[in-house]
Amino acid sequence: MGRQLLRATLVLTVGLLLTGCATIRVSSQTDHGIIWSNYKTFDWGLADALPAGDPRLEKDPFFRDHVAGAVEKAMATHGFVLSATTERPDVVIHYHANVAERVDPDYVDRDYGSCASDDCRPRVSRYEAGTMVVDVVDAATNVLIWRGWAQGSLEGVLGNRDRLRRRIDESVRQMFETLPSAR
Amino acid sequence: MLRFIRPVTVAGVLIAALALAGCATLRVNSYVERGADFTQYRSYAWAERGAFATGDPRLDNNRFFSQRVEEAVDMQLSARGFEKANHATADLLIHIHARMEQRIDAGTLLVDFMDRRTNRLAWRGWAERSFDGVIENQEWMEATIDETVARILAQLPRKPL
Repeated sequence: MGRQLLRATLVLTVGLLLTGCATIRVSSQTDHGIIWSNYKTFDWGLADALPAGDPRLEKDPFFRDHVAGAVEKAMATHGFVLSATTERPDVVIHYHANVAERVDPDYVDRDYGSCASDDCRPRVSRYEAGTMVVDVVDAATNVLIWRGWAQGSLEGVLGNRDRLRRRIDESVRQMFETLPSAR
Repeated sequence: MLRFIRPVTVAGVLIAALALAGCATLRVNSYVERGADFTQYRSYAWAERGAFATGDPRLDNNRFFSQRVEEAVDMQLSARGFEKANHATADLLIHIHARMEQRIDAGTLLVDFMDRRTNRLAWRGWAERSFDGVIENQEWMEATIDETVARILAQLPRKPL
């Protein structure tokens, strides 16, 4: 009985992790030769030439405003100053949001022994994953100096303002933890 | 523009399964124009440079990815005695295509060598592999690019000594 309960809990936990309910994966890339103290001011760039993102996100004013607010806040905590409209900023920021189906094989059965025979096939979970990419570009040379992104399942997030807002905040906060400071 | 979009069903799931199981799946292959003597070529130039579309928003227009690929190709070709030349005089023009399958974090990297005079494909090499977790770690991504490009170009016909 106790073992069964433990197994059920374990299966449920791993299941939640695999479907990515609350998991956000963040990462970033940069050029390690960059001298970040050269950059102080930032501004938003024009819409970029990236392939069209998902209209459910990029065409949603709530999403756009909230991303802008979260990114501006994150930049401020790193010592960057939003440029006055009359002067050229040191860096320009672009972001891009994309939704794609992801497929993850589900190893719960095999790994935790609830599948007895040899022909157990991995079950496959499919879900809609969102990717938000934020680019920091040197405004003078138009060269990418930092790219951060966050990925996670959008199950129950699209169409729920409160969850979407929290997801944006958390994604931007975690993503920007790797950004060097302008100090 | 060559695209390698295939219906990923059983094979895709299998690749993802292998990736999760920790097996490094890397398959390389190449094609050489029939009757062509690849060893006659001495110099090359990049047909176009800069960030390319990949089908993965993390890698689209990402110079940290595209430049690493170009550098890895330059390094391998230099080691094989090819000279980098002017676009107008080079024997070969190089194109890179990358196609990522976001659903399973797997992708194809393809290197084309065009004969500049005839504008025909002289040699094509490619690799298909899983990228699970690789893109999220820049150093690992760079090492993976280097290894993948080396494996692709290891298939180039050898010049006679």
